[in-house]
Amino acid sequence: MSEDARFCHDAGRVFLETRDLTKTYRLGREDIRALEGVDFVAAQGDFVVLNGPSGSGKTTFLNLISAIDRPTQGEVIIEGVSTTSQTDRQLAAMRRNKIGLVFQSFNLIPVLSAAENVEYPLLLHRLERPERKRRVRAMLEEVGLGELTKRRPNELSGGQRQRVAIARALVSRPRMVLADEPTANLDSETGKAVMQLTSRLNKEHCVVFIVVTHDPAVTIYAQRRFRILDGHLTEEGNDAPVASTA
Amino acid sequence: MLLWLPLRSLLRSRRRSLLSLAIIGLGTTIALVVLGFVQESRALIRETSVAEFGNLQIASPQLWEDTAEDYGYLVQPSTLDQVSALLASESRVDAFTVQLQFPALIASGDRTQIVRVTGFVPGNPALSRAGEIVAGRDLETSDAAAVLVGRSLADRLDLAPGSAITLTLTTVDGAYNATPLQVVGIYEFSSEQVELQSLFIPLRYAQLLLNTTGVDRIVVTLGNIADTEATRARLQAGLTDAQLGLEALTWDELSPFYQQLSNLFDILFGFIALAMAVLVFFIILQILTLAFLERTREIGTARALGTTRRGVLGLLLAEGAWLAVIGSGLGVALGTALSLAFNAIGIRWAPPGTVEPVVLSIRVGITTALAPFLLGVVATILSSLYPALQMARLPVVDALRVE
Repeated sequence: MSEDARFCHDAGRVFLETRDLTKTYRLGREDIRALEGVDFVAAQGDFVVLNGPSGSGKTTFLNLISAIDRPTQGEVIIEGVSTTSQTDRQLAAMRRNKIGLVFQSFNLIPVLSAAENVEYPLLLHRLERPERKRRVRAMLEEVGLGELTKRRPNELSGGQRQRVAIARALVSRPRMVLADEPTANLDSETGKAVMQLTSRLNKEHCVVFIVVTHDPAVTIYAQRRFRILDGHLTEEGNDAPVASTA
Repeated sequence: MLLWLPLRSLLRSRRRSLLSLAIIGLGTTIALVVLGFVQESRALIRETSVAEFGNLQIASPQLWEDTAEDYGYLVQPSTLDQVSALLASESRVDAFTVQLQFPALIASGDRTQIVRVTGFVPGNPALSRAGEIVAGRDLETSDAAAVLVGRSLADRLDLAPGSAITLTLTTVDGAYNATPLQVVGIYEFSSEQVELQSLFIPLRYAQLLLNTTGVDRIVVTLGNIADTEATRARLQAGLTDAQLGLEALTWDELSPFYQQLSNLFDILFGFIALAMAVLVFFIILQILTLAFLERTREIGTARALGTTRRGVLGLLLAEGAWLAVIGSGLGVALGTALSLAFNAIGIRWAPPGTVEPVVLSIRVGITTALAPFLLGVVATILSSLYPALQMARLPVVDALRVE
């Protein structure tokens, strides 16, 4: 059984859980609660969309569940392990092994080619060179960039860069991909293509996708939709139609 | 790729990287040229000292300590025979001879000069003056009341081969003695002090003047200067075993000038090397701090993807290491080229205490290049350590917020 197939076999199993998740920032003498008492559960294979106005706490929530920030109160539990007690090194390993990140502004490493950017997470996994090359080639072909592997980020269009970022997030076969405004810098056609790709990968690889977006065109792909307002998370209904990827 | 990634990051900011390389290279070049000059000068002085003192001298400790009020330190023929046998058994000894030195006063016309007279064995290859004669001839075994004077003394007293001088001294018994001597030759030496103060006469005539059969020292020359310390140790063990009451000293112990100059050179190079290292350290610190700060978001991304703090630290230090190795390597190449150019031009200069200018020479070689190279590498890597640590410690979420 392949690894991806095993993930699909686990579809529905709880992958991520937050309990009473709270984040407070100190601004001068004032404490600002960016997130307050958020309880959230995501199962393997979920495609979740988060939206909310600017400054509502979306990015803070994403930072906490991706283990790049620590909560002020409450906990994030990933596959049964609370991140609260984890060291920086353990959190880095958790991000490396279980989480893929897609940033709003791509965050590709400018001195590396498209293929090398995608290869970077595999280097952190210390995979052998032939296996790395094989996976990178397959992933870039999957996102439709098989011919552009040697191009640097500044030689790619916005849509192509985002595809590279998605390929980088998926190449190490994470259990969960977190995307922050993945279509914000793309035109509508490219944004649609990227979301179709994302949705297809969600189905084929059974990866948890949690996408923060303001874009209504993205929301139609969601199985579950959430809204964050003033640091509070509410689910908008889990019976929304799932968009076709065809 | 983790090895090439830092190099590519350097290539991205070419102007800044070139500036960094130029600074590291310049610092290494200066340190290399100064060290090459110091090493060559030290070697020149070492050769001069060995030419003046031999590799080793054996004598009574009283002579070295300069505590004797009379000539009680003289080595008598019976003891000398035992020392000669010991020296003959030492394979690394190239040659040895005996000397008898004493203070005296010379007079030429109405001018006088206090001198140190050395009675030596003409024709003995150890410390032969044959190659230093600039006028007249060297002393011969058949000579008696003949003397070699230094060029500077000859100039001061208007002496030439054939000139006559009067030597006044005190015998080992404390009696005054005086003798006319004929100048048969004039020698040159790199040290003006030696030329002014050292006279050479045949040993047998010196013993006759002092009314003794003894000598004050045995001078030993070796085939290789590097063997000096080991040979001294063996000879000293032999002298102690034979209970001869003699002590062997090496050329550097006998030459306070070499010691002083050597210390001065060490301080000079140390100061310049330190100044270069500090300069390189602070400039590269400034440059790398800015370079790393500009890439805060990129470093945050690497951390978000799962690179550990140590991993980021390694990547940034690798950048410093690339700069260090390339910059120091360029510095060594430039310094070597400059040294060779200086050597080819043949600039002349007069070291302190020398009579004639010598050609400025800078040593070139791997052993000379090693210390400046390491200096450049260490200073650069140290300068990258602080900004690399700062960046590695930055919280991921803060690093990602930086535009």
